[in-house]
Amino acid sequence: MQDEQSLVRRAQQHDQEAFAQLYEEHFDKIYRYVALRIGNETEAEDMTQQVFLNALQSISSFRWKGIPFSAWLFRIAHNQAVDYLRRKKHTAVPLDESLASNDNTPQLVAEHKLDIEQLLLAAKQLTEAQREVISLRFTSELSIAQVAKVMGKSQGAVKALQHSAIVALRRALSVTENENK
Amino acid sequence: MKTSKEFDNILNECLERLLVKGETIEQCLQSYPEQAAELKPLLQTALVVKKASAIQPRAEFKAKARYQFRSALQEVASRRSRPFFGWLPRWATVVTIVLILLLAGGGTVAAAGNSMPDNPLYPVKLATEQVRLVLTPSQLGKARLCARLADRRVAEIIYMANKGDAHQVELITQRLDKRLVMLAVLALALKADGAPKVLAPAPAEEAGGDRGTYAQPNNRAKLRMAVAYYAANHPAALRAVLEKAPESVKLALLRAIAVSETGYKRALEALD
Repeated sequence: MQDEQSLVRRAQQHDQEAFAQLYEEHFDKIYRYVALRIGNETEAEDMTQQVFLNALQSISSFRWKGIPFSAWLFRIAHNQAVDYLRRKKHTAVPLDESLASNDNTPQLVAEHKLDIEQLLLAAKQLTEAQREVISLRFTSELSIAQVAKVMGKSQGAVKALQHSAIVALRRALSVTENENK
Repeated sequence: MKTSKEFDNILNECLERLLVKGETIEQCLQSYPEQAAELKPLLQTALVVKKASAIQPRAEFKAKARYQFRSALQEVASRRSRPFFGWLPRWATVVTIVLILLLAGGGTVAAAGNSMPDNPLYPVKLATEQVRLVLTPSQLGKARLCARLADRRVAEIIYMANKGDAHQVELITQRLDKRLVMLAVLALALKADGAPKVLAPAPAEEAGGDRGTYAQPNNRAKLRMAVAYYAANHPAALRAVLEKAPESVKLALLRAIAVSETGYKRALEALD
């Protein structure tokens, strides 16, 4: 945290290398979060870039008040995702075929893609808050404390949301599996 | 029987052990045998979700995004390195460039304005553009100039593609990318600051051409319209060239198309 605090302070003082380091550390997580939230690779790529351009523009407004830098970045990503979904009027967007894991084995990629599709389908059954918790916890690997900061909720509320989200996903995934049989 | 809150805590602890520390479901269940029946299906679901969501950005996209972000960093740094009282040395540089250009003859500058990258006057054209960018006082004016310069770059790409010069197409595409990144950064700054109420006039773009007052309230809307126009036309124009272009330049042209599509989209989003 101390290192990150120092990096952010340097970035706020227009140290390009410090900002570039923050960019490298957070890029993949922000991309994963956005991709799962909106389910479209091309849009997720553009939106991820936009998140960092916005961060670059407004980093001077960031203040350390117990909120980690990542929470601030995810907040920007969250706002952009909400804007995007509002523009799309919550229309389900099919996930691009090119969304793939690092695993290059064709069979595994195919299986993985099936999982992503199932997950997106199942995620539609969740509330917006539940989807947010799942995206932040499982794709971006944020701790409960960090998710609580991003969402502006207590840790207890986030744990309860996490629980209900997994229960809802379990139910939805079972339905999806049964439909595919 | 544990309360719901206690169970939420147990579930969260098991998720941490499972997903962060790499323990197995069985290890978690052994710690909480009373809750095992309820925990097991939830932890199994969490593992499936974790696996499904382990997506990574494409390496090609990451490289492109990194380059564009570095360009934006440099652009922001160069804007910030020009405080009101710290600009005299830069002014001196600009005046020197202008004097050189004037000494070379006003006709030279005018002639360079329409030169293409294979013309000896092309570096004069680029230098003149740079001077204009520095001298344009407002962010809105700079953004408008960036849009016009992007338009020039696209015309140059088309010209050089028709000549079969892939190397020049690549070089100009890099300049196009730089202008579009700058346009997006300026648009974001305009959004953050709010539209200025009264702005100084921008220098004339072309002879007898646009000399905007920038005091009109709808200038941002006009900028957006211009960018939307370019966003619709530039990729289409490049695609039209792609159909007839020599094979040797097609790859470079495809990159130019991608750069223009992404760049304009980002700029339009920033202007929304």
